[in-house]
Amino acid sequence: MNRLRAIFLAPSAAFTVVLFLIPLSIIVGYSFHTRGVYGGVTAPWTTENYQRLFDPLYGIILWRSLVMSTAATVLCLLIAFPLALFIARAGERAKSIYLYLVILPFWTSFLVRTYAWMFLLRDTGLINSVLLSLKIINEPLPLLYNETAVVVGLVYGYLPFAVLPLFSNLERLDKNLMEAAADLGATPWNSIRHVVLPLCAPGMRAAAVLVFIPCLGAYLTPDLLGGGKSIMIGNLIQNQFTTARDWPFGSAISLALMALVMILLTTLLKQDGEEAL
Amino acid sequence: MKQSRFLAVFAALVYAFLHVPLLILCAFSFNSSRFTVWEGFSLAWYRAMFGDAQLGEAAWNSLVIALASTVLATAIGTLCAYGLWKRGSKWLSGSLYLSLVTPEIVTGISLLAFFQWVFRYLQIQLGMHTVILAHVAFSIAYVLLVVMARLRTAEPALEDAALDLGANEWQAFRLVTLPMLQPGIIAAALLAFTVSFDDYVITSLVAGVDSETLPMVLYAMARRGANPVVSAISAVIFLGFGALILLSERMQKR
Amino acid sequence: MTRRREILIGLAGLSGCARPTARRLNVFNWSAYVAPETVPNFEKHHAVKVRYSVYESNEEMLARVFSGNSGWDIVFPTHYIVPPMREQNLLAELDHAQLPNLKNIEPAFQHPVSDPQLQHSVPYMWNATGILYNKKVTPVPSKWADLWEPHWKGHLTMLDDPAEVFAAALRKLGYSLNSRDPNELRAAQREAVNQKPLLRAYLNTEVRDQAVAGDILGAQIWSTTAQQAIDASSDLAFVYPRDGFPLSLDCAVLLRESPRKEIAHDFLNYLLEPNVSARIAETMRTATANGAARPLLSAATQNNRTLYPPPEVMAQAEWFATVTPEAQRLRDRLWTEIKSA
Repeated sequence: MNRLRAIFLAPSAAFTVVLFLIPLSIIVGYSFHTRGVYGGVTAPWTTENYQRLFDPLYGIILWRSLVMSTAATVLCLLIAFPLALFIARAGERAKSIYLYLVILPFWTSFLVRTYAWMFLLRDTGLINSVLLSLKIINEPLPLLYNETAVVVGLVYGYLPFAVLPLFSNLERLDKNLMEAAADLGATPWNSIRHVVLPLCAPGMRAAAVLVFIPCLGAYLTPDLLGGGKSIMIGNLIQNQFTTARDWPFGSAISLALMALVMILLTTLLKQDGEEAL
Repeated sequence: MKQSRFLAVFAALVYAFLHVPLLILCAFSFNSSRFTVWEGFSLAWYRAMFGDAQLGEAAWNSLVIALASTVLATAIGTLCAYGLWKRGSKWLSGSLYLSLVTPEIVTGISLLAFFQWVFRYLQIQLGMHTVILAHVAFSIAYVLLVVMARLRTAEPALEDAALDLGANEWQAFRLVTLPMLQPGIIAAALLAFTVSFDDYVITSLVAGVDSETLPMVLYAMARRGANPVVSAISAVIFLGFGALILLSERMQKR
Repeated sequence: MTRRREILIGLAGLSGCARPTARRLNVFNWSAYVAPETVPNFEKHHAVKVRYSVYESNEEMLARVFSGNSGWDIVFPTHYIVPPMREQNLLAELDHAQLPNLKNIEPAFQHPVSDPQLQHSVPYMWNATGILYNKKVTPVPSKWADLWEPHWKGHLTMLDDPAEVFAAALRKLGYSLNSRDPNELRAAQREAVNQKPLLRAYLNTEVRDQAVAGDILGAQIWSTTAQQAIDASSDLAFVYPRDGFPLSLDCAVLLRESPRKEIAHDFLNYLLEPNVSARIAETMRTATANGAARPLLSAATQNNRTLYPPPEVMAQAEWFATVTPEAQRLRDRLWTEIKSA
């Protein structure tokens, strides 16, 4: 068995080493260097970039990012769970159509999805135009360029990532279980609460991870829907690699963020990487 | 099982949330004005879209890249899942998990730094190949995640039985486990295609002169301001892929 | 480790199949920076295929060419991006013998702070930052300080660029916009934070359509972008703040990696021809750095005060310069403070 297993693992190991671990180690190397006069990465070696992280300013940004990502994740789960339940209970053919309908908006590209929301939320956008013409409001509502718009954009952008794992989890549940619960007099709500929810904890975890992580690193959504007025940790990182041209500091923030996410996942979800995959 | 009315209504609302913004965008791609005020039906933006050679090329590049990286990532990821299912490997699954939690911008920058370093020794250029390699690299973990979930429900005893009956290991994999994995593999491929076709951040950092993708062109257009051509493109993607799904469902039914 | 080598060799193999096509030139420029016929005419005269693509920000362009093997030949950084690119070893030295049209460049742009001898860059278009406003706004703004008035609340945008926001705040306080003084920078940061409640957003080019639509009544914006907005709506006007404003110069540079330096020089020289420059400036409504092209412009364009402000206005202008690493780091931290305030 060992030879076949080795052959099977070789390509993924090669890709992981060459295109993930080696590039990542370059970033680790950068994080211990100094920013050059014009933004290059130069000697001397230093741990200063990590010391700079212990600054209340970055704590505030991290906290805000955690709050917004958590809000988006919770909303995604609240929306995705009933939807996944609905899809899982549908007939075989309807099931796959329903699933495709969840993924379909995803193929129109992230930018277009964000753009669609800008189109709706602008002062002269559709929502305001309709409300104005119906005389419900006299002044356009400031819907775009605030934190609510960012959270809506994040939920919209990552909802399918929550639906897919929940669906595959729910689909495997024994349907007889719920029927038995109903026979024993449980209301639908009680059977969901006491039977289904505990059993789909793994799906919930996977969904939460798949939504939370990209939200935490997001920078385009806060830029486009938030109008650059409140930055998340992703913007901070992106800014170091672009406008500020401080690659060493950007690398240090990135690595600290990754370490934090790994710690959060392993302690909160009580699983190591191997079990998660 | 009977659907509860609450669930059906809720699902309808979620589908509306997912599709209405894009459908509105599609509708306004037929507007003769650049702005949100409806001024009459026009196909001008579609003419502009089909007349734009750069767009056509970008769409083609996106398709080629997404298909190539989907095939590669699905194959590699499935083999990897099977290998890890047989016996775990802490460093490999740990690294793949880490790649899943790496912010996109970091993945992109690290690949850019890596290619810059490689280019010092090898005379190669950024292009379709670097984009495909990058996409495969970040899609493997997604494929692994989905296929592994399916493998967890598999029965190892079945393969043992096949081995007892004289099959070799390859045949046991090929004839027993692989067919069982098929739904998971299809779902994984779908996910891999989606993340590849959609990616902007990483692609924009590793793309060369002749490998601009649709999201890159769309990004530049959207940043320039209200542009109904962007709406027209999304309408074509949205309705085109939608038709494709319905068609494939029909074919499966027969 | 052998696995890694195999991949590298495989990579090399992939690139080995580079096609020996007809002559090529790959040009990456800002959007709306050439006339429709500019590139086709060059292709015809020089029997070359030009791949012409556009970007919206220096950052976008830098990310694309940073690897040093991107395939691009000519790109157009803003002048203060030239020194960083030079330091990263991305730029090739220009051969002035192959650029006889360099003499056409206006004297004011012959020796930019970023590259006084024009060793690596050719001045192409220039731009200034000012205030775009809707004419229904009273009082009419005339200086940066006016953008701190409460009547803008919710209808004002600033550029999403630390150098620009600091420039406005520093000039409002009467300091140099390239200030390195920590106290001056901190004062500017406080100004920016005070202004933030009035702002709708920090936006760059995107603001143009929103100003045209009337969502936004005032915006810190570049003169050429403002001109496009004014062309689209007669409600809009542009003013150069009299407390002083920044100038920037977009330059053409030749990348070190380019294997086609000969034809690339031809292209740069072609762009400097007076009638070519004039056509571009006239159709795209930009401000050309080509002095010899100026007399060929229509009278309306020559007298356009947004694109070509008179000398007394230009006297208030100041070039963006590269600041010291310490000042840059402080600016970046203060910018993060502004953004998270």
